[in-house]
Amino acid sequence: MPSWIQQSIARGILTTRYPQDPPSEAETPATARAPVPTCGTVPLDVAATHCPVGAIGPAGVDRGKCIRCARCLPDGFAFSGPVEAAARSRAELVVGAAAPSPRVAPTAPLAEIRRSLHVFLVDVGSCNACNLEVLALANPYYDFSRLGLFFTNSPRHADVLLVVGVPTPEMVEPLRRAYDALPAPKAVVAVGVCPIGGGAFAGTPGLVGALADLVPVDVFVPGCPPSPVAVLDGLLRLAGRERRTTEGES
Amino acid sequence: MIESADDTPPAPGKGGTADERALAYAADDGTFALYNDYRRGRSELVRDPALSPTDEPARSWRVTAGADRPHALAPAVEVEGYGVFTFPYGPISMGVPEAGRFDVRTYGERVLALAPVGGFKSRRIVASIVGLPVADAALRVERLAGNLSAAHVAAFLAAVESAQGLAVPSAELWVRALAQELQRVYNHLHVLARVAEAAAQNVGLAQTHALAEEVLRVQGSVFGHRWLFGALLPNGPARRTDPGARRTLAEQLRHLAREFERLWALFLESRTFIDRIQSTAPVSRADAVRWGAVGPTLRACGVDWDDRLRVPTPPYHDLFVAVPRETGGDALARLTVRAEEVRGSFLLLEQLLDRWPGAGTTTEPAAPPVAPGRGVARVEAPSGDLVYDVRVADGRVVAARYRSPSQANWPLFARGMRDAVFTDFHFAFESFGLVFAETDG
Repeated sequence: MPSWIQQSIARGILTTRYPQDPPSEAETPATARAPVPTCGTVPLDVAATHCPVGAIGPAGVDRGKCIRCARCLPDGFAFSGPVEAAARSRAELVVGAAAPSPRVAPTAPLAEIRRSLHVFLVDVGSCNACNLEVLALANPYYDFSRLGLFFTNSPRHADVLLVVGVPTPEMVEPLRRAYDALPAPKAVVAVGVCPIGGGAFAGTPGLVGALADLVPVDVFVPGCPPSPVAVLDGLLRLAGRERRTTEGES
Repeated sequence: MIESADDTPPAPGKGGTADERALAYAADDGTFALYNDYRRGRSELVRDPALSPTDEPARSWRVTAGADRPHALAPAVEVEGYGVFTFPYGPISMGVPEAGRFDVRTYGERVLALAPVGGFKSRRIVASIVGLPVADAALRVERLAGNLSAAHVAAFLAAVESAQGLAVPSAELWVRALAQELQRVYNHLHVLARVAEAAAQNVGLAQTHALAEEVLRVQGSVFGHRWLFGALLPNGPARRTDPGARRTLAEQLRHLAREFERLWALFLESRTFIDRIQSTAPVSRADAVRWGAVGPTLRACGVDWDDRLRVPTPPYHDLFVAVPRETGGDALARLTVRAEEVRGSFLLLEQLLDRWPGAGTTTEPAAPPVAPGRGVARVEAPSGDLVYDVRVADGRVVAARYRSPSQANWPLFARGMRDAVFTDFHFAFESFGLVFAETDG
């Protein structure tokens, strides 16, 4: 009679080699990467008229707004940005057209937050996809506890607030209370374009705007939703432990 | 409040059996109503309906999307007594990783009454898509509930096509079915993983979670997006449905189906697992019909209603759709129905890939509009019947309304939790497959 133990052994080890190795192809479908102009002569003004969320403008591509809808691909863009695109500031997410896909320079980690992190998930108005991508970090494929990262059941036990969704007025007060409940030192990671800049819902009357207007945000993870690898990169970046890329690799 | 009425069983009809006709959807302006006739197994569209008091439970608690203040999702039940207090659970908790609240009336362990409260994550989608071109509106509709995107977009597009009287390429309908069945497998596996987690079945949780991740990866490789955003829209990410990719997909699906069979057999042998879900949060057949339960919740009460069979749209009218049914009405029955449906979906996926339409330009006519410029579409989403009612003019959305399976099933969850103990909460909640995102809209 088969047993759970036999089942586990038969399945073997599934866990990714990330961040020791670069993310694999299976972990990064096309839309895990931001669109990037394929050559220097891509007409940005034409692409801007096709972008439904205003992510493309004269300044280049704003990854904090891009929902990966693929409408700019016929204009000469390709999903070839880096998978690990988390940034420590909002401005870093705007990538100029002249120099496509620069590697975000490693920044100093928060002085107090390093090594093991306890993470609490807060949904302020998401579609559930980001929630599930964050929860996927605990599945055997990503198993983020091997990196010293854990979920907690209370904000009082957490170092990091992972915030998903576009902030609704109803969630402003609960969010503030969760943030206040975190013991110092604390950090906030905005997961997905919704908390960064509204994503597909940007400009909807009645919504309250960006997460950074409500609580201080330490790391921005773009994507709609970001892949689990991208969320992992955001957490590791917070702790100053992100994967070091070698020259010539994107 | 209608709590006094909701304990009375439905009046027996002629022949001694309960009247098994349920209101599925009532248009906000009273133009039409959709009924399910469970005895004849067909859907009825009634124009200028005179809604009767027996329709009231299903009508008054179901269409709540767009209400932007926190509001009850099931009728209030007044319970008083020594030491009875209200325990608010949410809107932020890791146990339910979505923003929503549960007001639990209790004196300690036993749940005397439970009122789910929604509206915390209303992104005002239904209001915000008014005036948008259909293609732009669809980008928001697919982000209404990320894990249910295929069903929502398929229903929205079908309603739009019906409103516009458009013929749809057959190949497009097959792609929609492919996406929906993949997402059904993912969601059922997700529910199974969540119940396993609640039951502390850690190996089972890890194995099921891994299987669900594999489905996401299959979706990512076929549609370029793990959650199928853009997969069913024109100008979306590139799809890979050429013959070579279909052969690979069929092979991957056979592997997933085998793995699932092994897992499910192990779950059924786990006494501790079965003990936690057997007779948890029971729903009677009479309640399910009266309150308009849908999907696995309804089928676990012995009613064999599935939109893929009863309101068939191409290509489902041409395929074998298994409709599993259980009679227990409890969490075990709901989970068994979901497990059987995973099998059914694998079978459907095999049929879809086997009989993939050629490169021809055959089209299927859309369903006739219910009124000029107004279309209605029903789709069997993972948690049940999903209805979209869309008005379109000049390629732009004039008005849109939907009724999601979660909205329909909240009152049944609230009823099932009555007299349960609080430790049953997660088994009960997860077994209904309720999603706040598609409730609030």
